[in-house]
Amino acid sequence: MGRYLLRRLGFALFLVLAVSSASLLLTRLAPGDLATEQALSLDPAALVRLRGELGLDRPLTAQYLSWLGGVLQLDFGRSLLYGRPVSDLIGERALNTAMLALAALMLATIVGLPLGVYSGSRSRGVGRAIVRALSVVALSVPPLIGSLALVFLAARTGWLPVGGMTSASGAELTWAQWLADLARHLPVPALALALPLAATLERLQSQAIAKATREPFVAASRARGLDSVQAILRHAWPASLPSVLGLYGVMIGSLFSGSFVVEVVTAWPGLGRLMYDALKARDLYLVAGCAASGAFFLAAGTWLADVLLALTDPRVRSEEVV
Amino acid sequence: MNRQPRALLSVLLLGLIAFMGWRWWSDQQPADELGTEIVFSDASTRGGIVTSSLRSEPRSFNRWVDRNFPTDLISHLTQAKLIRVNRATQEVEAALAESWTASPDNLTFTITLREAAWSDGTPFTSADVLFTFQAIYDPKVNSVFTGALQVNGQPLVATAPDARTVVIRYPAPFGPGIALLDNLIIAPKHKLAAALAAGTFAQAWGVATPVNEMVSLGPFVLSRYEPGQRLTFDRHPQYWKKDAAGVALPYLDQVVLEVVPDQEAELVRLRSGQIDMLQQQVRPEDVATLRPLVDEGKLKLLELGVGTDPDLFFFNLRPRQWAKDPRGSWMSRREFRQAISHAVDREAFANTVYLGAGVPIWGPVTPGNQKWFSPNVPRYGFSVDKAKALLTGLGLANRDQDEWLEDDKGTEARFTVLTFRGNSSLERSSAVLRDDLRQVGIAVDVVALEQGALIERMLKGDFDAIFFVLTLTSLDPAMSPDFWLSSGSGHVWNIGQATPATEWEKQIDDLIHTMMATSDQAARKQAFDQVQKIFAEHLPAIYFVAPRMYIGVSSRVGSLTPTILRPQLLWAADAITVRSGGSPGQAGR
Repeated sequence: MGRYLLRRLGFALFLVLAVSSASLLLTRLAPGDLATEQALSLDPAALVRLRGELGLDRPLTAQYLSWLGGVLQLDFGRSLLYGRPVSDLIGERALNTAMLALAALMLATIVGLPLGVYSGSRSRGVGRAIVRALSVVALSVPPLIGSLALVFLAARTGWLPVGGMTSASGAELTWAQWLADLARHLPVPALALALPLAATLERLQSQAIAKATREPFVAASRARGLDSVQAILRHAWPASLPSVLGLYGVMIGSLFSGSFVVEVVTAWPGLGRLMYDALKARDLYLVAGCAASGAFFLAAGTWLADVLLALTDPRVRSEEVV
Repeated sequence: MNRQPRALLSVLLLGLIAFMGWRWWSDQQPADELGTEIVFSDASTRGGIVTSSLRSEPRSFNRWVDRNFPTDLISHLTQAKLIRVNRATQEVEAALAESWTASPDNLTFTITLREAAWSDGTPFTSADVLFTFQAIYDPKVNSVFTGALQVNGQPLVATAPDARTVVIRYPAPFGPGIALLDNLIIAPKHKLAAALAAGTFAQAWGVATPVNEMVSLGPFVLSRYEPGQRLTFDRHPQYWKKDAAGVALPYLDQVVLEVVPDQEAELVRLRSGQIDMLQQQVRPEDVATLRPLVDEGKLKLLELGVGTDPDLFFFNLRPRQWAKDPRGSWMSRREFRQAISHAVDREAFANTVYLGAGVPIWGPVTPGNQKWFSPNVPRYGFSVDKAKALLTGLGLANRDQDEWLEDDKGTEARFTVLTFRGNSSLERSSAVLRDDLRQVGIAVDVVALEQGALIERMLKGDFDAIFFVLTLTSLDPAMSPDFWLSSGSGHVWNIGQATPATEWEKQIDDLIHTMMATSDQAARKQAFDQVQKIFAEHLPAIYFVAPRMYIGVSSRVGSLTPTILRPQLLWAADAITVRSGGSPGQAGR
């Protein structure tokens, strides 16, 4: 198990380095830079000075090697846009994104898995049709439309704040009040993220359960006198989990690296928005830092899913982990 | 019909019934139960909160080195100038300068400062003014105001005989006179002198700076910054300005800027009363959706007038671009540009791009700039026949029976237009241009690029034509010389010429220099009318339509002085009132 974890850790580090390096190099190679937008209002000498100050006049290799040297010491450089250390900016926003991601993941799991088990264990019926129809709708609606629909609903009913993470009065709130305020702001973005994920989980779980229920050991458990619910929960569901858990790695990675569309529409101050702003302004180091954090979360998510898979499936443990 | 489709149909039907029921129920609710209704009161009172949206976050609080809109807006709320150009009237008015006198040659201005204090209680003195000049002219600072506070490339010289007097000497006569000081935002010496001495002024007052380390001389003080969420400004308790009745300004207790990056979400918030105003114009396609709220009295849709920074279409006029290009013999000719101007139906253009909310224009100065607009310029009315005649005169004819014209060497009349990706007005305009030019046999390939990539291509001169938006820094042309002068960095069709490439550009240079040097307003206007005429004759950039601009604001907000320039409402935030206390989100709850 230890060797396996080390191997995965090594891969994760490689992934983070490769993705962030590629992001930095591609952003640097693309036409234009942070100083370009000022070019029409600055005289040429001032523009040259600005490029020099930002380090944009250095050769690509020198720029990359100095950045790489910093990264090896866990220093991702300073944002050209905000003049602050990239790690500070990412740290602030990652916490916000993590809260949102966790809420969305829990919501998707709580809704998607039971519905998947339910719809997969039935071959017909109105309930199954309703679940399937809702899943298809949730999967078909693009995140932008889904987010806007929820924001519109919140505005129309006044039940929930339409955006932001906390209220303007947040400074005067106690911790308990702040948490309550946060809880009021979470549902709209969390639902926008969770609904398509819940639908994906439902569809996957449903197919996995349907396949598992056709396995001989499930039929044998029924023959031993278990009722259908017990047979599904005790035998079919555990057997169906490996295929579902595989998806969790990707889900965790994408959620924790920030969803740009949902964060922009619901004004949630997370990593997705930071990455978007960095890309728009060609902030090399911030783009690389955001890409590194995204790759890290993807690697961590995949690793977590692998561990969970190994824990739930003895075959995986014996073949790969040990 | 088997059971599964029937069940699906039932689900859809139930969903539809539930939605219609919800809509009906929502409509039946009294407005105050919805929690989004704004409470109105008849009396304008001191106090209250105004909440506005802001599409992007500030990159810095240091206005002396950052020109982006959020930083500029924050500067309007928290900083002050000696004088300011009133954005509504275009007249110079006193701010921190209590009074001033000009020498007979209009080169020296002696300014008496009013008694005022920074938000930490430190008195404002002439030392702050001198320090600001020192910072702006320091090459290490690389200030965005260095060029704007020069005359003929030379800096102004400021001295201070005493703590309340400043003498500013211009190196040469300058037409706008003291209005040039509208670019001088006073910096606090007691807070930033150490940074300037250490060579770190440009990095000072970054977004990570604690708000209590920054001081204000404007109507509000930044009291809280929540990255990615909002900026909160409290009333500056010692702000110098009072209204006619002697009441200390500002009237508002607080201004809140909520960061809302998405335009649709921003509109939803405005419609639901959770914000009071936007910081940019309402798009033409959104005007209709806001009308019902205007009819209900919840919202005001203020018409700001005709936009002063219309989109422009221009060809690459660098001679070297066309030296080896077979299209150069006709594409760099004035007649070709005139033919294009004739070929575009500006009325249809206004209807398609701005849904009717636009006016045809014939040059860079629109009717929105009332002081400088000249209607007496050559116009190229819509006429396919005239366009075709001009193209024929250039030797372009349909020689191979396809859709397009060719020159006598068989080169097709085709060019590529670059434009900004994601700018719906420019993308629509490019499409209209392509369709209109197809009718006269010119093929246009539209390529949408990211902003950085497009500007890079423009600077390198690697383009045929560009559809672009250029924001000029001032309505007075003498304050935007970069666009007009052939040596300017904003002379986009042929940037930064060492000497004027054409005779007409030399004429424009001379006229602009003349109007920059004289303070006789009639002579300045006459010179600039001539500039507009030459520009319209030679069409280095072609203008089609200027949009009519609207801005949405909650009806509870009063004492507004809307202007066409950004920030359209908060530029005079000290005079704004609200009809009920509390924030818009709280008002009806």
